[in-house]
Amino acid sequence: MSAPALPDRRNVLITGADTPIGERLARVLVSDSRVDRIVAVCGGSPDLHPLADNPRVRAVEVDLVKGRRVRELLFGPARDEQIHVVVHLAMHRSPRAEGSRAHAFNVEALRGIMALAERHPTIERLVLRSDAAVYRSRRDLPVLIGEEHPLNIGVDVPQWVRDRVEADVTACARMGLGRLQVVVLRMAEVLAPGTGSQVFDWLESPVCFRPAGFDPMMNVLSLDDATGALQKAIFSDEQGVFNVPGADTLPLTACIRAWGRLGIPVAEPAMGPLYRIRSRLSGREFRYGINRGRFHFSGVLDGSRAREILRFVPAHPVDWPVA
Amino acid sequence: MPIPPSIARALASLYVSDEELERLADLHYQDAGHGYDAFGLHPDYVALGELIAGPLYDKWFRVISRGQEVIPDVGPAVIASNHSGSIPLDAAMIWMDVLRHSNPPRVPRAIADHFVPSLPWVGALFARSGMIGGSRGNTRALLENGELLLIFPEGTPGIIKPWAERYQLRPFRVGHAELAIRHSAPIIPVGVIGAEEQLPLLFVSKRLGRPMGVPEVPVPAVPFPLPVRYRIFYGDPIPVHEEFSPSDADDPDVVRSVAARVQAAVDRLLKKGLAERKGVFA
Repeated sequence: MSAPALPDRRNVLITGADTPIGERLARVLVSDSRVDRIVAVCGGSPDLHPLADNPRVRAVEVDLVKGRRVRELLFGPARDEQIHVVVHLAMHRSPRAEGSRAHAFNVEALRGIMALAERHPTIERLVLRSDAAVYRSRRDLPVLIGEEHPLNIGVDVPQWVRDRVEADVTACARMGLGRLQVVVLRMAEVLAPGTGSQVFDWLESPVCFRPAGFDPMMNVLSLDDATGALQKAIFSDEQGVFNVPGADTLPLTACIRAWGRLGIPVAEPAMGPLYRIRSRLSGREFRYGINRGRFHFSGVLDGSRAREILRFVPAHPVDWPVA
Repeated sequence: MPIPPSIARALASLYVSDEELERLADLHYQDAGHGYDAFGLHPDYVALGELIAGPLYDKWFRVISRGQEVIPDVGPAVIASNHSGSIPLDAAMIWMDVLRHSNPPRVPRAIADHFVPSLPWVGALFARSGMIGGSRGNTRALLENGELLLIFPEGTPGIIKPWAERYQLRPFRVGHAELAIRHSAPIIPVGVIGAEEQLPLLFVSKRLGRPMGVPEVPVPAVPFPLPVRYRIFYGDPIPVHEEFSPSDADDPDVVRSVAARVQAAVDRLLKKGLAERKGVFA
């Protein structure tokens, strides 16, 4: 079934609108003349959203875990505002969020939104913010990660990663089956506070432990480029899976230096326990188990497809504290 | 690498001349930001690689080479060489030789076995000076970027040959031929003489390799490489880019025949070089 053509002017619903990326995207869209109305879906009080007073923005509080609330959102405010595009950013950022409720928020909410969007009178397109963490990192896999790269699936994979993979695959499985256009953006690590970035949390300590003898290449994305990619995806008529790399590709040790931190090489067996202790003492979110692969083996997203089809080219490097 | 590029460059200047350091500024590579390419290569660490490999190349192995002019100044190419010597010093010597004799300088991107990137320190140092893990995605990306690949089609069996079988090529794998055809790159056959005698092999141990994460460890009869004379000969390029279309890379017969031609060309270079050689150390 082919999707109907979308209008040039598009109204947008953003889930996770109270996250740093969601807030930034809402600001960008408010200043975009191609957007008339924005529905900002927040997890907390909508009055606290920085754009709550903007006449073009309708901020609403919805618990996405509850199917009925999602239905009321899509066939309430979303229908009233004639939403064309849903941008799904809502995903637990903390690896502490585990269990069935976290899974319901990370995966089932997306599944519900997609099922409802298929029979929605105005929604034609869904953009999912996925994550480079869905890719497997192993010594025999290519450094340059294309969209066909193996996914990080396995029984020993932490739920934080597993849910991301499942959400990504759930969206991909819908692609081309119905009238809903689906775009999955697998973004590089967004190096900014509150984005759920594991590397950002790791760099927040004055001392960064790393596995001795390894210095893999990594790629990081700025908040501006992340929102830029989402904006391109909203206004494109193409669907598919796209890697979204950032403008910064550098080794782990250079990352530590550029962030003004002290890197200390540590024997591999000590890394996990050290960061477990740090997490317990300071409440930090970094989990070595989630990052073990990419702390050993290089992985850089190949953004060729996004460049060719979405016309997205990363142009805003991260603002490194130490130039 | 735990040391910043500026320190790597300063260290390199202990051995590498100012002119050579200046020349390396024109190095052909794709800067992905911050001075590194996506695979980790950085010109200052290439200079550091010269600091490490240079004395071996100049003083210890006293490398003689011939025919480097066949290496193209730009564009993709596959260098296919015999492999020997228990440890991959032959790769380091070809790396040095191409770097020294190409102008503008080109770094041959040596394709290593999958276990190499997982070796602590070694993997990182090799990556900074241009080595990559031998996955299809890596090689494809580099050839599409117009880089020079260095492949040892014999693979690990070539480097761990018994003394009695030196200069007898192991059957060439076909990956290099397939890559070259698919990416319209000429294949440059290379014969390396000398490496076979640098570390005469006693035996190969799988048990020693296990804790290091490598499949096999060669145990040589001497504790360090002997100061044999290296000779590197470059043969006429095999113009697969003119003879075949990229789709021919899917034809197993074509790929096998090209690999056999490369093996025959390398074998000829070895025989010619051995006939000319006056002695292992001369």
